Amino acid sequence: MISQFFVLSPRGDTIISRDYRGDVPRGTAEIFFRQVKFWKGGQEDAPPVFNIDGVNYLHVKVNGLLFVATTRANVSPALILELLQRIARIIKDYCGILSEDSMRKNFVLVYELLDEIIDMGYAQSTSTESLKAYVFNEPIQLDVQKLPNLGAASIFMNPGKRVPGTAVTKSVVSNDPSGKKREEVFVDIIERVSVTFNASGYIQNSEIDGTIQMKSYLSGTPEIRLALNEDLAIGKEFGGTGDLGMVLLDDCNFHESVRLDSFDVDRTLVLAPPDGEFPVMNYRMTQEFKPPFRVFPHVEEAGPFKAEVVVRVRGEFPSNSVANNVVVRIPLPKGTQRVSCEQEPGAVGQSTDFKEATKLVEWTVKKFPGNSEHVLRVKLTLAQERNANLKKETGPINMTFTIPMYNASRLQVRYLQILKKSKAYNPYRWVRYVTHANSYVTRL
Amino acid sequence: MSGHDSKYFTTTKKGEIHELKEELNSQFKDKKKDAVKKVIAAMTVGKDVSMLFTDVVNCMQTENLELKKLVYLYLINYAKSQPDLAILAVNTFVKDSQDPNPLIRALAVRTMGCIRVDKITEYLCDPLQKCLKDDDPYVRKTAAICVAKLFDINPELVEDRGFLETLKDLISDSNPMVVANAVAALSEIQESTTKLIFDLNSNVLFKLLAALNECTEWGQVFILDSLSRYKAKDARDAESIVERVTPRLQHANCAVVLSSVKVIMQQLELITSTDVVRNLMKKMAPPLVTLLSAEPEIQYVALRNINLIVQKRPTILAHEIKVFFCKYNDPIYVKLEKLEIMIKLASDRNIDQVLLEFKEYATEVDVDFVRKAVRAIGRCAIKLERAAERCINVLLDLIKIKVNYVVQEAIIVIKDIFRRYPNTYESIIATLCESLDTLDEPEAKASMIWIIGEYADRIDNADELLESFLETFPEEPAQVQLQLLTAAVKLFLKKPTEGPQQMIQVVLNNATQETDNPDLRDRAYVYWRLLSTDPEAAKDVVLAEKPVISDDSNQLDPSLLDELLGNISTLSSVYHKPPEVFVSRTKVVPLRDEEELEVESGPEESSGPAPPVQGLPTPTGLPKPAPVNDLLGDLMGLDVNSDGGPAPASPAARTAPPKPILLQASAAQGLQISGQMVRKNGQIFYDLTFDNQGTVPLDGFMIQFNKNTFGLAAGSPLQLPTIAPGSSAATELPMIPLQNLPPPGTPLAATLQVAVKNNQQPVWYFADKLPLQAVFLEDGRIERGQFLETWKSLPDSNEVLKELKDTVIPNVDILLEKLNASNAFFIARRLLKETNQDVLYLSVKLPPNLPLLVELTFAVGDPGVKVAVKTSSTEYAPLFFDAIDELIKSI
Repeated sequence: MISQFFVLSPRGDTIISRDYRGDVPRGTAEIFFRQVKFWKGGQEDAPPVFNIDGVNYLHVKVNGLLFVATTRANVSPALILELLQRIARIIKDYCGILSEDSMRKNFVLVYELLDEIIDMGYAQSTSTESLKAYVFNEPIQLDVQKLPNLGAASIFMNPGKRVPGTAVTKSVVSNDPSGKKREEVFVDIIERVSVTFNASGYIQNSEIDGTIQMKSYLSGTPEIRLALNEDLAIGKEFGGTGDLGMVLLDDCNFHESVRLDSFDVDRTLVLAPPDGEFPVMNYRMTQEFKPPFRVFPHVEEAGPFKAEVVVRVRGEFPSNSVANNVVVRIPLPKGTQRVSCEQEPGAVGQSTDFKEATKLVEWTVKKFPGNSEHVLRVKLTLAQERNANLKKETGPINMTFTIPMYNASRLQVRYLQILKKSKAYNPYRWVRYVTHANSYVTRL
Repeated sequence: MSGHDSKYFTTTKKGEIHELKEELNSQFKDKKKDAVKKVIAAMTVGKDVSMLFTDVVNCMQTENLELKKLVYLYLINYAKSQPDLAILAVNTFVKDSQDPNPLIRALAVRTMGCIRVDKITEYLCDPLQKCLKDDDPYVRKTAAICVAKLFDINPELVEDRGFLETLKDLISDSNPMVVANAVAALSEIQESTTKLIFDLNSNVLFKLLAALNECTEWGQVFILDSLSRYKAKDARDAESIVERVTPRLQHANCAVVLSSVKVIMQQLELITSTDVVRNLMKKMAPPLVTLLSAEPEIQYVALRNINLIVQKRPTILAHEIKVFFCKYNDPIYVKLEKLEIMIKLASDRNIDQVLLEFKEYATEVDVDFVRKAVRAIGRCAIKLERAAERCINVLLDLIKIKVNYVVQEAIIVIKDIFRRYPNTYESIIATLCESLDTLDEPEAKASMIWIIGEYADRIDNADELLESFLETFPEEPAQVQLQLLTAAVKLFLKKPTEGPQQMIQVVLNNATQETDNPDLRDRAYVYWRLLSTDPEAAKDVVLAEKPVISDDSNQLDPSLLDELLGNISTLSSVYHKPPEVFVSRTKVVPLRDEEELEVESGPEESSGPAPPVQGLPTPTGLPKPAPVNDLLGDLMGLDVNSDGGPAPASPAARTAPPKPILLQASAAQGLQISGQMVRKNGQIFYDLTFDNQGTVPLDGFMIQFNKNTFGLAAGSPLQLPTIAPGSSAATELPMIPLQNLPPPGTPLAATLQVAVKNNQQPVWYFADKLPLQAVFLEDGRIERGQFLETWKSLPDSNEVLKELKDTVIPNVDILLEKLNASNAFFIARRLLKETNQDVLYLSVKLPPNLPLLVELTFAVGDPGVKVAVKTSSTEYAPLFFDAIDELIKSI
């Protein structure tokens, strides 16, 4: 059971603070923040669970904000961490966006929510849908115009784990200023790809973590039928390497609103989506798949104090998709003194940045169409005569990227059917795909 | 609504309170509501707005739910500081609890429960009773939690009003939310009392299993955690529970998954069919792995739990090692946990893959992680004999990169590999020696020196190598000095030529005369005497074959592991510590008068018989007789003068049981010394008997004590008559504490090193156990109130626990008498009715002024006494455990 809950800003200011049991003294927010800030001399991230003087502190970081719970009991930490994530999501559902500003503007609403979500430290109601019946404050939305550009691309900017992936910034409870509520439902297939290439360019390890995320603005919570690939197999006992074109998941789990009656037969999920954003299904896949990018690094020695690192990156996804914000990070040898980066002729929307302290070159390509290739030559000067291990000291190269309307697993939503009697009822349905890089590493 | 709530934070001017007061009393609803919001805003930023209590409470009677909730929020915060005014709100609460709107009824009960004011609780009972049986499930589920709130404030009231019974009935409620909250409330109440309240019989079990499928995710966790307390009757019972729980592994909520794993792991113990077990493990593996796709915070919790699970059932994830490979963007706390599990899962089959990974990690940026990765390679070498050579090759590759901290870490683990596989990999020593001058960390230096000493005969220039370290001997840290000393001796024994001989002289001189470190000095003396008396024996001792080591770092003791497995998905499983170590006891059941037992303190004499005597701790330390006279000058200090002193030996007529023998006659030319430390009338005495079994009369006895933890020194010269052959003499030597303290920072030791000499024989050395009970101070008794206060004021990290497994307490009264006589003072006693155990609270004081608070938990007549010590200097705890064990055993 939770004794206290608080939300701290990145600077350590208390934005929200609620005491549920009165068995932990005040001042814990300061103690907590000092610990987290100076964990191992400020060198390392503090673990999410620790104990100071008999008080257990559990926290998660969401959008730079720290959601913290304290307790004295031997509780389930997974429950509390899940709950903290959930609280963040509910606040986002209500306020449209989750930020220090939006929480300060809506603090009365947040307190009202917290009273319904937790009673005496025990989790109660955490679905945005059911909370609507008990919460009366109206959210005050931030001026969306003032937010950074929310073009199509930014929809997929969220690098978080399973946390909100859609960038629909309107509250699920408040009414449109026009007075009319737009009937729509968003289904996002968000995949986070991890690939490790070994020095010979072979795939050493690969994995996809995927989530089917739904955000519903439909009135009257109609039932929805969501059909996935029919050739979807789950569990390793199905054997096979997937060469028959099957999509083979290692494991998956489902939101509690999902009914799986016909899942085994025709791979359809039936659910009455509650308001708010939630994961319909999480899945994990280690079956071989075509990695969207390949990196070909090459280290050339050019004299005793000079070397050149050439990095060629190929996009191996269909040419009708475009990857956004591709960042390639190239760690250089520790003895590197000066660096000059040479982009290919005619390069547009590319930039490079050398981080002196960490000897890291960051190469950004704003738009990277599928089936194309970019090259960067990094010329470096060494402080000392190079030794034989120049190559070993370079890399591993890692990449981050976002590819909208592409998914590596080939898991697909065949159709999204809204089961409502009236024929005139035809709400907007959005099915979107996006692939993020999680840990995308090329070793040298 | 107009504008943004954040505007409420802006008013900070002076007349603010006055202004707010006016607005709160406004007749316009909107203005009122705005004012309350401003008050709440001020409250949350820590401003004191308690003076507005009456004005805010006046806003309570409203139909507007939004406003009502705001007022309640305020009330919860300030009621405690204004208990008299809080009564003003009671009427509205009681009225609200009968409102036709279920939301208002629930709100009233919920809020009343949060106002922790005694006077209010009386008024809470009637509404609570009604609400527990309300038609609306929202009200019932709120009321269920409210029972736990009330129990926390006033447990008697809850029992008297029969709320516990009603709560138990709610387990069968039609609404799963109500069931979940009833389970949560009952579990909490059960935890704070020793009475059996929440009995998990098969009837309750059935109801819980039925509710499990319907509940919210959080309710499922409450229920699963309760289920884990259920002891299945047999394998079939266990299987049927597991069958109902297994589908929960498919839940998207990680807490549900982990709690299900806990239940399944527990029932697995009972299931006998290997097929069923294998099948279940197969089912558990994918969901466990999927936990690693969650947010990093949850991954961390999952990894700490998986660490425990694979220790118990190593096969479960044997084929999944790849999922534990570190991602470059994993936070460091996740990476370090993954590393641990990779080592645990490493096998001959996957070691090549694992080594490739470790090698990559060893070139990353984060120094701490790199070090752990290098160490991991060494631990795999020690674990997997057939892979040892491959591990060494990887380490050599890493050394060649010449990154300083990698090299040092590699040398440290290679030393361990040499210990594990002696005489196998010396060929790489040459490569190691290339890095000799770059070593600057004590542990790495010490490791390298150990390697040189161990293989001194195979390294041609071993003497040169060691000599290079010797120049800085006095400045080296103790760890390095000790290794240098031992390595020099090994070198000398293996190559007794001129060079090493000179070196050993220098080292021994340095280590005996130029140091304050008793460990170093003692070890040097031991070597010196060994070498000067019997070099062959020295060889046997110093070059003895060492026992084989295994990688047991981070391996948990099986009994602790089992306890932790029972606590899967709790904080205990994340810290890898049993709950009682960190769960604070703010809710210790108050000591009841009728359960107390007061014992008169009597100034009786304590005469504890026979504490077992231990020899010197190191095998190399057993002294052999040898006339090394210069040692006497050093160790004896020569300030104790025995000449002319009168020698009225105290009569040895006491009918005490035989004292432990400290020095055997066979080892000391016929002189046998027995004795023990006792405490009498507030003074410590060393009760010694000297027995001359030799052939010549002995006289001129002197005694000296080495520096020791309590600084005990002789309070007067040893007064003994001439002892004729075949006779004995006894004396009680007064001892004074805090005279002879070791340098600060020296670790505590339970040994007292003693030197005795006489005019006829060489110096005899022996070690006695330093019984902590001998230094318990007379004025250690403290008041009960002060005891409680001190107990509470000390953080839990200052509490140390130990279970004396075989110790039996046959009778409490005798024990208390004994303890009291030994200055361990009785504070209070209570009975744990449920387990029929006694809990005793004692206080003890150590010199100069260190109170120890003690809790003993045991069942009379049964083996096993749990001892908890709380004190500001916990390093005394191990000594205390021995002392209390001896005291108990002596009754």
